[in-house]
Formats: sequence, structure tokens, C-alpha cells
Amino acid sequence: MAEATFQVDVVSAERELFSGESTGVYARGVEGDIGLLPGHQPALVLLGHAPVRVKRPDGDQVRIAVHNGFLECRGDELTVLADLAELAVEIDVDRARAARARAVRQLEQAETDEDAERARDALARADLRLGLVGAEASS
Amino acid sequence: MAAGAAELRTLWRRIDSVRSTQKITHAMELIAASRITRAREAVEAARPYAVMITRVMRDLATEATVGDHPLLSEHEELRRIGVVVISGDRGLAGAYNANILRRADRLVEQEEQAGREVRRYVVGRKAQQTYSYQGRDIAQYWTGVTDRPRYADAAEIAERIIADYSAGEVDRVWVCFTNFRSALRQVPSVLQLLPVRERELAGGEGYAPEYLFEPSPRTLLEQLVPRYVEHRMYAALLESSASEHASRQRAMSNATDNAGELIEALTREANAARQAAITTEISEIVSGAEALSSG
Repeated sequence: MAEATFQVDVVSAERELFSGESTGVYARGVEGDIGLLPGHQPALVLLGHAPVRVKRPDGDQVRIAVHNGFLECRGDELTVLADLAELAVEIDVDRARAARARAVRQLEQAETDEDAERARDALARADLRLGLVGAEASS
Repeated sequence: MAAGAAELRTLWRRIDSVRSTQKITHAMELIAASRITRAREAVEAARPYAVMITRVMRDLATEATVGDHPLLSEHEELRRIGVVVISGDRGLAGAYNANILRRADRLVEQEEQAGREVRRYVVGRKAQQTYSYQGRDIAQYWTGVTDRPRYADAAEIAERIIADYSAGEVDRVWVCFTNFRSALRQVPSVLQLLPVRERELAGGEGYAPEYLFEPSPRTLLEQLVPRYVEHRMYAALLESSASEHASRQRAMSNATDNAGELIEALTREANAARQAAITTEISEIVSGAEALSSG
């Protein structure tokens, strides 16, 4: 028997990243990891800087970095909305490494809370990108 | 004869100069045309997000436990009004910049007549230049945004405005932008950014009781309202950007046509001058020959 599927859309403010059938979505919410399969209880989940994995019926996985997003599941539909989202295949590892190094430096030099907050945000973004493509932070 | 040749040279020089201007305006027209397409695509690409976030916000707003969000509630007294003006960075776009500035001035006048102070936030170099020339205060300005707005730009602008609204620095915020109706029609418009109007969030279906919220609906809404405001800002930037490119394309297309007409008229004048010069030359030769033979 074929696995059950549901319609999944991943949409950022600038464009649609993924739209299609899926057998399961795995994400990290602000309160912990969550996996949703077709027929899951309806849910609205806030995601911070989170990796999202969408499993396709053919067994492939689409991996997406989501910044400031949330996920809504209702019945046979699941939508991930995000300020910014990137497909793992689009991520530029060198740029993410450079951004991480810059963020670390800014965090050390931060004078105000606001600066530190901004640097921590940048650091989280860079870590998410690197984690998703499985690259080491330094090399 | 010498006078005729000089006139001819001047005419040819003018034709050359008009022709090179025409090349520039034509190139600008083509560039603007391709930018309109891109800007329209950006508006289209942003639509699914708009639909979704609006629906989720509406549904969340019906949750009884949500309570009042600071960005959703009116301030009791309206003392200071924030006005965001979105203009272009460059001119040569017909009346685009003049139109939006005039619309903004009308709004400011209305607010000031009602006895309220106005604080300006400016996007685009043209509005910034105009206001500083007029000696008006600008709370903050952003340039390099309108040619191709990115979501991060909208988020940055929205962040500043939300901070000011939350701190009670401004009690209401308007955005003056240009609505792209079609390639031929762009309308200077005004929308209320803050507080988010109740009717924008009315009509939500709400959530079935078995819904799982993580975290609580209240926290979720707190996170989503700023997103919604950012998104509205982004949409206004995209509309303005498409309008600017459309205005520029039209202006440059007219300029190219005018240059073409000018070239035609000048060429006709040059031909007449050339003919006159030849006629003079012939009659000089003929009269010279006659003088010799009769001598």
C-alpha cells in the first residue's frame, strides 16, 4: 500500500520554495522538535531559526532553512510560512562561514544589548545554514 | 557659400547630439520595461504568503485568549502621526515622484489642520532631497531600496516604525505609496500601517477546539503581528517599485519618440540648407564663366 501523503507548501515572503505531496514534515519548533505525518492533529507551531525537512513520496528529502517562520497544519494540508527561507542546495557554504565568523566577532565586540541581540541572530542564521548542509563551522 | 556650409555643419552636429540622446532614452526605456516584468513577478511571488498570513492572523484574532496586542489597539490620543513616503531614488520617471510627494503633502496638511504633529519616514532619495531642501525634519530615510525591494529592507523599515509606535513616539502611521493598477495607470495611495485596523482582521473562522498551539495563541499572535506589518510594508514597496519602472518606461518612450521627430525636422532643414549651398555654388560658377567668356 502506498504511504499516505498530504499537500505541503513552503512559502517565504519573497517566493514559494516548495509545493507538492509529502509523506511527512520534520521541523524544530521553538518548544522542541516536531514531526507531522498526514492526518496529524491540526496545529500551529512557531519556528525560530529552524531546519525543516520535507519527505517526498519517492523517499527523497527536501531540506530548507527557515528563518522566523511558522507552520500550520490543517487536515490534509500543511503550510510553512517564513520571513526568509532557503533550500539547502542554494546555500553558499563559504558565505555562511564568513557570516558566522563576522557574527562571532560582532558578538565579542558588542557594546549594547541591541548589538549583541543582532549578532546572536546572525550567528543563529549562519549556524542553521551550515548545520543544514552538514558543513563544519570552521575549515 | 561659407555661411551655408557653417550652417550645415551646425545642423549635422545637432542631429548627432539628438541621436545619441535618443539612444540613451531608448536604452532606459528597454531597461525599465524589463524591470516592470521583474517587479510584477515579485508582486505575484509574494501573494501566497500574503494570503496565508492574513488568514492565520484572522483566525488567531478570533481566539478569546489572545487579548489586546499593542499594535492592534488604537492610542487614546492622537498627537503625533507617522507618515512613510515611498518615492524613487532617481528622476526621469515622468511625474512619478511629483505625484507621490503631492499626495503625501495633502495628507500631512490634513493631519496638521487637525492639530497633529507629523513625523516623516522617507524611502527613496528623491523625497529625501525634496524634504531636506524644504527644511523639513526627517526621522529616518532609506535609499537604494525602491529599485528592487527585498524583504529584508521592508523588515528593517517596519522594525523602526514598530519600535516608535510601541514607544508611543507616534500614535498612528500612514504609508504613502503608488499603487500599480496597470502599465498605464499608477495611483498614489495611502494605507494605514499602524495600528492594524480591526476590519483587516475581521471574519476569521477561528480554530476547532482540538487545535494544537505551540506556544500559546497569545504568544503566536505577538510574533505574527510584526510579521504582518513587515509584509504590508513589503507589498507597498513592491507596488511602488513596479509603478516607478512603469512611469519611467512611459517617460522614456515619449522622450525617444520626441527625439525621433526632432531628428526628422532637423534632417529636413539640413537637406534644404545643403541644396541652397549647391544652388549658390552653381550660380557662382555660371556667373564666373559668363564673366570670362564676355571679357
